[in-house]
Amino acid sequence: MIIRLMSVELLKLRRKWIWPLVALGPVGVIALQAVNYALRYDYLVHQQPGEPWDGLISAVAWLTLAALLTGIFILASMTAGIEHQLNAWKLTVALPVKKRHLYAAKFLLTALLLLTASVLLIPLTVALGLSLGFGTAIPYGQLIAAALFPYLAALPVIALQVWLSVTIHNQAVPLTVGIVGMMTANFAGSRIPDWLPYKWPQIDYAVNEPGLYVPAGIALGLVIYAAGMLDFVRKDVR
Amino acid sequence: MTTIADSIVQTEALTKSISGKAVVNEVNIKIERGDIYGFLGPNGAGKTTTIRLLLGLTKPTSGTVRLFDRDIRNHRLDVLRKVGSLVEYPSYYGHLTAVENLEAVRRLLDVPKERIDDVLAIVRLTKDAGRQVKGYSLGMKQRLGIATALLGNPELLILDEPTNGLDPAGIQEIRELIISLPRTKGVTILISSHLLSEVEQMATRVGIIAKGSMVYQNSISHLREQAISRIRFTVNDPASAYPLLRSSGYEAEWDDRSLTIGRADNASTAEAVALLVKHHYDVYRVEEQTASLESLFLEMTGGERSL
Repeated sequence: MIIRLMSVELLKLRRKWIWPLVALGPVGVIALQAVNYALRYDYLVHQQPGEPWDGLISAVAWLTLAALLTGIFILASMTAGIEHQLNAWKLTVALPVKKRHLYAAKFLLTALLLLTASVLLIPLTVALGLSLGFGTAIPYGQLIAAALFPYLAALPVIALQVWLSVTIHNQAVPLTVGIVGMMTANFAGSRIPDWLPYKWPQIDYAVNEPGLYVPAGIALGLVIYAAGMLDFVRKDVR
Repeated sequence: MTTIADSIVQTEALTKSISGKAVVNEVNIKIERGDIYGFLGPNGAGKTTTIRLLLGLTKPTSGTVRLFDRDIRNHRLDVLRKVGSLVEYPSYYGHLTAVENLEAVRRLLDVPKERIDDVLAIVRLTKDAGRQVKGYSLGMKQRLGIATALLGNPELLILDEPTNGLDPAGIQEIRELIISLPRTKGVTILISSHLLSEVEQMATRVGIIAKGSMVYQNSISHLREQAISRIRFTVNDPASAYPLLRSSGYEAEWDDRSLTIGRADNASTAEAVALLVKHHYDVYRVEEQTASLESLFLEMTGGERSL
């Protein structure tokens, strides 16, 4: 049933311009880094210690944080908004579909879109590095870690935004929470305490071990997902 | 009497309170196979809330809902498979075409693809099926909603004010469709409306709800009988003739010129006349008062006109 629901979710994305939006995140990050490297090529490549590939991956990861957290609340709100806009929840809930499956499909859709965006970073970073002449000794391990670990560490934020977006009709609420979270993560930076999930996606996984951040992200993400699902199942449909 | 197995919808003391106020209060609905059940009430009487309770969109505060003789709390998925519904205004995805909207529902119902063409033909939307629904008129959206409800070959069709926004020709079409479905497909239908005149011509049974409570539930013919069987006698001294009729068991009312009795067939009318004459009252006129169904409906629902 989940597979059927997912196929319906993907069908409903037609003409919503969500896929271009998904691509916009990683493309924007890489474009900004392209400008950064074009302007300060000598400084970034010759005057910094270490391999140029490592520098590039860290630079990309640093910009990705804002893009990822922004992408989460926008995509969660858009995928839920497809139902809210014309009160279509009642249409689907009156069909022989389990409400928890319906919630699972919404969560999976948002998670899938964000995963696509995160994975897109890998070939785009490679393309930028190659065009900057960094050579073919590409550190794929670091590249994949830098692209995927922040995504996994951000699962609690994804689960929270899906919960709020799906259960609250007025999308101003989840959007506000999303923006405040994104700003906190970006501007408070490393001053955020370790226990706050907004810290977890901003570790530079190109040079750091996933440590507890990634497993904690997956675990707390599942907990928040389950809580959101129970809330959705319990609530009456508008 | 039909057997229990033919009960399609049955609610027992169904109640829904929203912030302490009972918007649906101890409602007992009974619909049997093949019925076209007209669910009537003024705006805000609790019709839509009741329908939401029937479909499990809203959970009751107390009471039970049984569809196909099964409690929907435990068998929601099994029973919803046999139900097609249109609640309040039609739900649709404006950025999708009619075909895509129906496809989204079809995948969840797992019915053959041909059903999409079938239902589009039934509601005559085939020509516009490739257009985005946001460009549809209200009537077309309503017809798409009905098509969606029909998609899964339902045994029970629940339509909440399905003719809202339709032009007279569209209303006529939907009416003919609704009348034909129980005959051709054995479908049972619940159709809600705030206009008695609208369901009067198709319903076999009616339930009337006002301020959250059922005030009437019976066959439409029974409602008609109630509406027409009042007899008015114009007599010389109504005030003193009144106790006479009362003591003989008539439900009578009087004013300074006449007496009125309710539920009078030919025999009891004749007996009443004989009684009055025997006691030396002058009977000037005997008239049948035909209250329209609409005025009876207004009386039952507390005179609240739907605006």
